[in-house]
Amino acid sequence: MLWVDKYRPKTLDKVTVHDQVAQNLRKLVKMENKTWKIDTGTRTLELELVMLSSAHHVEMNPSDAGFQDRYVVQEVIKEMAKNRPIDAKGKRAFKVLVLNEVDKLSREAQHSLRRTMEKYSASCRLILCCNSSSKVTEAVRSRCLNVRVNAPSEDQIVQVLEFIGKKENLVLPAGFAARIATQSNRNLRRAILFFETCKVQQYPFTSNQVAPPLDWEQYVCEIAADIMKEQSPKRLYAVRQKFYELLVNCIPPQSILKKLLAELLKKLDSDLKHEICHWAAHYEHKMRLGSKAIFHLEAFVAKFMSIYKEFLVSTFG
Amino acid sequence: MEADMDMEMPDPEELEWMESHGFPPEEEEEDAYFDDPDDEGFVPAAAGVVQPRVPPQETAVSPTKKPADEASEGNLKRPPPPPPQEQGDERSKRRNVDCEDSGDDDWLRYSPPVAEVVAETTISRFASDIRGDCIPITAPNGERVYAKLATDGSDGGGIVGSRQMSHISKPNFNHKGLLTESFHSLSSRAEQEALAKALLESTETQTVEGCPVTPQVTEQLWVEKYSPNSFTELLSDEHTNREVLLWLKQWDSCVFGSHIRATSDDVLSALRRHSSTIQKNSSIRNFFSKNKGGPVTSQDNMLQKAHGGNSEDLTSSFNKRSLTDNAPEQKVLLLCGPPGLGKTTLAHVAAKHCGYRVVEINASDDRSASSIEPKILDVIQMNSIMSDSKPKCLVIDEIDGSLGDGKGAVEVILKMINAEKHNSSDTKTSAEDTQVRKSSRKGHKIPKLMRPVICICNDLYAPALRQLRQVAKVHMFVQPTISRVVNRLKYICKKERFKTSPIALSALAEYTECDIRSCLNTLQFLNKKREALNISGFDSQVIGRKDISKSILDVWKQVLQKKRLKRVEKVDSNSSTDRDIGSLFSLISNRGDYDVTMDGIHENFLRLSYHDPMLQKTVKCLDVLGVSDSLMQYVYRTQQMSLYVYQPPIAITVSRLVAQVEKPNIEWPKALQRCRTMLLEKKDKLKTWQNQMSPLISRHLSVQSFVEDIASPFLHIISPMSLRPVALNLLSEREKDELVQLVDTMVSYSITYRNTKLILEPQERANGLMVSPEVPSLSLDPSISDIINFKGYQSEHIALSLAVKQVLVHEVSGSSNFYTWNPIFVSPAYRLPPLQLLI
Repeated sequence: MLWVDKYRPKTLDKVTVHDQVAQNLRKLVKMENKTWKIDTGTRTLELELVMLSSAHHVEMNPSDAGFQDRYVVQEVIKEMAKNRPIDAKGKRAFKVLVLNEVDKLSREAQHSLRRTMEKYSASCRLILCCNSSSKVTEAVRSRCLNVRVNAPSEDQIVQVLEFIGKKENLVLPAGFAARIATQSNRNLRRAILFFETCKVQQYPFTSNQVAPPLDWEQYVCEIAADIMKEQSPKRLYAVRQKFYELLVNCIPPQSILKKLLAELLKKLDSDLKHEICHWAAHYEHKMRLGSKAIFHLEAFVAKFMSIYKEFLVSTFG
Repeated sequence: MEADMDMEMPDPEELEWMESHGFPPEEEEEDAYFDDPDDEGFVPAAAGVVQPRVPPQETAVSPTKKPADEASEGNLKRPPPPPPQEQGDERSKRRNVDCEDSGDDDWLRYSPPVAEVVAETTISRFASDIRGDCIPITAPNGERVYAKLATDGSDGGGIVGSRQMSHISKPNFNHKGLLTESFHSLSSRAEQEALAKALLESTETQTVEGCPVTPQVTEQLWVEKYSPNSFTELLSDEHTNREVLLWLKQWDSCVFGSHIRATSDDVLSALRRHSSTIQKNSSIRNFFSKNKGGPVTSQDNMLQKAHGGNSEDLTSSFNKRSLTDNAPEQKVLLLCGPPGLGKTTLAHVAAKHCGYRVVEINASDDRSASSIEPKILDVIQMNSIMSDSKPKCLVIDEIDGSLGDGKGAVEVILKMINAEKHNSSDTKTSAEDTQVRKSSRKGHKIPKLMRPVICICNDLYAPALRQLRQVAKVHMFVQPTISRVVNRLKYICKKERFKTSPIALSALAEYTECDIRSCLNTLQFLNKKREALNISGFDSQVIGRKDISKSILDVWKQVLQKKRLKRVEKVDSNSSTDRDIGSLFSLISNRGDYDVTMDGIHENFLRLSYHDPMLQKTVKCLDVLGVSDSLMQYVYRTQQMSLYVYQPPIAITVSRLVAQVEKPNIEWPKALQRCRTMLLEKKDKLKTWQNQMSPLISRHLSVQSFVEDIASPFLHIISPMSLRPVALNLLSEREKDELVQLVDTMVSYSITYRNTKLILEPQERANGLMVSPEVPSLSLDPSISDIINFKGYQSEHIALSLAVKQVLVHEVSGSSNFYTWNPIFVSPAYRLPPLQLLI
């Protein structure tokens, strides 16, 4: 199996990155006072370990049901929450439900969830996981203990990589782990995967070896280069086709926009950076309001082209 | 009449005779078309069609001497010929006996005789002026006078002045006083006189006018009145007409028996020759302004078919019943097109022309399946017991409007067609056999469709017609050319003595989009109001725009194409702008499908060549499109449909910004749709794959995280370069370790290589990058590599060599089945022991 899975901590004791959080959780578990938690963290690897600490839990991902997730929450979860576990001898008087991707639940589902949470708290504990707590309604949030799991710092990632290297009997050149940590953009999963890729591609690591970039990010880089090269409706049309390519391959439009912005900012005059960021945020907001992401992605590109061209004309005449 | 026979039952000898005499019948018909189609009487006038006016021939033949005879006939033909007000005039004239009847035109003038009489003081405005008895008389113009009542015997007449009349109208001679003659005889005489006058007039003016003024009171709709009665009069596209006729002719063998069929070949060839002669003469009417090759080639096909049918006929002509098998392949004709182009007319005329009795079922009838089935059965099975036992032809009008219960008609017809197919598929033996079986089945089987069925619809793509569309012969109606419509309108206007200009007529035709029905109704309305048709007042005037929703492609075209401003309009471009916006608004909101409308605009607007150096217009367009998207989503969520009203202005904004005069190349917005479906497809694939993995792995793996983070490194990891395609025992320890690691990974992610038929993309084949198609290749299953295959992007992933892949397949399949099989393979702890070990 992949190293990502192989070296995933199985108990709270073995957590290396978020040891502080893990400590707190362990205390909570010991007190048998488990309440609902929202673990809000971005792109975390450690997020899942929380669920592993209990042997008696059900894990599900209600947002898979799409816009009908309401029924999952109303029927399935309620059904589960209602009944006490069979082996209840007073020792374990509740079951644990883990719900993934709560932030992707529809508003209706979240509303139906909040009543379930309270009503059946005697027999059921819920652990909700999400990437961003801002998309969970206030009502649900206020019923939970919020635990934020940060993205690991680069030092922490380096630690993890070195740990894995030791376990695998690998020799890491100096600065190699740090480089991968930087490349991974503080994403531990990515870092470990990169690490393994490097190992597979060339084992005795060379001093300046880097992992091959992610393909979709590479593609976004191409798009950014296209945009910088020419600003015209025709180019915009070409860019649109590339956006479609990305969207078709399940890349979330938000990620595209974010990566694109990052790429554009790299090559941009610092005068414009603030404005461009503003517009990126603006169009991301609109993207969330609407349903056709391509409109808004394109609108951002058009806006950027317009601003950039104006800048070019005013600067270079 | 030759033409009559020719059309009624195409007789090859007749045609040949005409051909040989250099007497192209079309030409004759053409004259008829322009002059007076009725007097040729293509369709027997006796068929109960009410002739709108007195046939000039008849009037020419019959002199005015038989008033009573004529009167009855006239009454039949022309609803109340003497207009009542004229009668009234006549009557008042009678009472006002001093009026003379000498000239046919003079009687309209009343005042001179009155003035004349006043001089003699037998008639005065004041009763006091008259000595003796007097009677009040009111003239038609409201003037009121008093007339002196003469005593018996004085002057030998009733009233002064009647002596003038006495020598003209003898019946008046012996009456005494004013009301000595009965009112009835007076009025009947007045009618007769009026009739005689009208007849006289009609014979006089026939050469010039063609027909007398039609009575205004109970006149027919012009649409009815001038609806084509014969095939040549049809205004619809000639090609379509011909096709319909040919289709109907194909039924001949089935419906009428073989004898007609045998001639049809000649007829067809004759028809073809005719069509070519028409093509030569077509400069007057531009029938064949389109592709000239079309009709001829299609007829060639038909001819071949006819040949085939003919030979069959010869073999099986003994058994007439078996001829049913010779019915055309497509049993149903589906005519479709916008309203007012003459679809119904064509169906009726063509059917009559081929000798059928038309039975029409339209939307007004009950069309549920239960009630329509017996009706259709009646039509296709029974014959009329009347003397003219014409076979029937079913015309189902407005079939697309049939929803819910109304779908019955379509269902019944489809059932019949399908039943027939089954029958024909299992009865391929002999004709007799078929017949026997058929008769045995008759009780319980669904009957065959043995009469032509013509369905008419406006929208070919209506959901109700989906199945019918596949089995029917479909004919699209296209708009006739404006000049053709105008010609016909001109002709009718001339007949109706309605003054118009050709320009106005063509503008009218353009405005109504060649909807002849609408044109005629408008003209009649104006005629009635005694108003002239003027071009300027179209939109404000009487003509209502049809409230039709245009096709979505038209909507996009309208949005993205600026109307070319004429020079006149440029002056007041403000008002024309307003009008444009208004029409655009109604166009878009009539269509209503805003989602697709916006998609189409989005898809197409970037390809317009609008001037936009700083891309401000583009930004603006995309911004408003974004607004539209948010609005749509909001409406979708909150169900506040009233907010849809803000969608058309968004489209109009885009239109004002980017619309160009050039014709846009509109494309259907496939990209977005394709994107959505493929996205779902791929997500689904990934989900299925995820479900195949062990839950320990898969629960940490969402689709998003896989695509974003894992896919690329994962592909690198499972294709290590260092792996050598050699036997296992030749590998070094480290390589063995790596192999184990790799196989473990592949198993845990439930990935393997699968033998696939190599489907090479054309460009790849051209590049020669891939191995030759003969070599079987192994590809990843599930094909994760698709995820990173972006168009125009070269990924750096290395594909393993075939040998290595084979090794891997072997290992993976082996390890997933028997984990103890491979000594170097260490089974992961989490996997369940295989079944064999458990037992």
